[in-house]
Amino acid sequence: MAKFITIGERIHCISPVIRKAMAERDPEPILKRAKEQLDAGATYLDVNIGPAENDGEDLMKWAVKLLQENFDNVPLALDTANMKAIEAGISVYNRSKGKPIVNSADAGDRIGYIDLAAANDAIVIALCSANGIAADNDERMMHCQNMLEHGMMLGMESDDLWFDPLFLVIKGMQDKQMEFLEAIKMFSDMGLNSTGGLSNNSNGMPKHIRPIMDSAMVAMCMMQGLTSAIVNPCDLRLMETIKSCDIIKNNNLYADSYLEI
Amino acid sequence: MAFTPKKQAFNAKINAVTLGTGEKSIVIGGENVLPFYTFDAEMPNKPAIAVEIRDTGLEGETAPGLLAFYEGCTSVVDMAKKAETMEGASAICLHFESADPNGANKPVEECVELAKAVADAVSMPIIVMGCKNVEKDAQLFNAVSDALQGKNILVLSSREENYKTVGASAGLAYNQKVGAESAVDINLAKQLNVLLSQLGVPAASVCMNLGSSAAGYGYEYLSSTLDRVKAAALAQNDAMLQMPIVTPISTETWTTKEAMLSEAEAPDWGSQEERGIEMEITTASACLVGGSNVVIMKHPASIATIAKFIDSLM
Repeated sequence: MAKFITIGERIHCISPVIRKAMAERDPEPILKRAKEQLDAGATYLDVNIGPAENDGEDLMKWAVKLLQENFDNVPLALDTANMKAIEAGISVYNRSKGKPIVNSADAGDRIGYIDLAAANDAIVIALCSANGIAADNDERMMHCQNMLEHGMMLGMESDDLWFDPLFLVIKGMQDKQMEFLEAIKMFSDMGLNSTGGLSNNSNGMPKHIRPIMDSAMVAMCMMQGLTSAIVNPCDLRLMETIKSCDIIKNNNLYADSYLEI
Repeated sequence: MAFTPKKQAFNAKINAVTLGTGEKSIVIGGENVLPFYTFDAEMPNKPAIAVEIRDTGLEGETAPGLLAFYEGCTSVVDMAKKAETMEGASAICLHFESADPNGANKPVEECVELAKAVADAVSMPIIVMGCKNVEKDAQLFNAVSDALQGKNILVLSSREENYKTVGASAGLAYNQKVGAESAVDINLAKQLNVLLSQLGVPAASVCMNLGSSAAGYGYEYLSSTLDRVKAAALAQNDAMLQMPIVTPISTETWTTKEAMLSEAEAPDWGSQEERGIEMEITTASACLVGGSNVVIMKHPASIATIAKFIDSLM
């Protein structure tokens, strides 16, 4: 089995520093965050440029080139509501370290992102929701099937659709967590890849609690067969948990220094 | 509809490591497929055979075919020159057995002198095998690596107890290739590679000696180790296990009962020499299909057979 894939979430325009750097095309803050995440062990980096309605294409091209040129063609997840910007990013993307990820499609209005991924030989994150969070696993799996068929009709390999069951916030949806975990098992039993924004589960919790809850959650998800997650790689406890789970799952051969590599 | 086989080439590959210099230098590793799965993808470099020559020369050798091959040789240097003409040989492994403090305890200076004389006389890559005493080997590898700078030799091997000294001298100061020996302990195999890389030795300067055992003498442990290492290196793209594998064969097989017992002692077992050759061939072929990139052997008949075996599978 392959190692768990972490997608670093910290290049996000919601952060004022990054938003400013993107607006001003200032490389430094972006490179700094990229380096921190890669040093901490991230495989992919997510590049969220927001809606970017005006200059999205130019901005995404700039960001893709900037990151790949500085970090040995690091593989990237291109994250924006502007589809043209994603295509522009892919047009300058180097695939030597992994296909680009389109972030993200859903089974509703955003189904076209699957078409975009298929047309560009990319991976796509497929949110198992249409208009609003799925009510239960019947609905989740219906969306999953629809998107899988949609992608395969367009010639995609099933491996390139990474299904996102949508992590649910524990404070408020505590009773839904076990069902959510079952959905991951269903993807896994179907041989499908999966991912999701892990930290959503601990939203609203005190800062010192979140790494603990995120670590517990990722361990339970990996037990269920989750193959990837969008995470904050600078969370040491979380990364140590992921590395340890990869050892237990025999995704990576044990060596005494496994936490250092 | 025609059957189209699915090719299983990996997006990961074994490091290509160069041994020796000049025309006779060899490259080992570099493949992105399981051993000899040439129907999936080409193996860019074929596995190599190194000829083991002990620093004590022919002392104690009894196999008539081996003695006949080296007939007329009066020194280890003569033997090394002769070994270069052996069919199937592509490297010389100089084995400093008598450096062992619990044995003849040959001084490091004498070993260095011999290594230099051999290096001057041959053009094939040189592998220097120690005496298995960790302190003495560290001194020996340090001195020989210094004396043979520029020859791009492989020292066999650094171990958990001496990897810092050997890695720093052979690997870093003298720019030679370093073997990492782990005695059939797969986790230690990876750990040693991690430690050497943390020391700063480039991955392309490291080969693994995963240990060795003769067929019938615990070979199955070696076999499962080879399999797991190849699976990690190729299927899991584990950079800390993508070093090519060098496996000593002759040192294991010629000390087994099958090779040692004379015809008088084991009258039902047939020719003693043939038994030794069979043990060497069986073990070497099993290691090669398990993923060894270099096998170290000594009898000309077994080496010729294994060379043919490799060629026919490429």
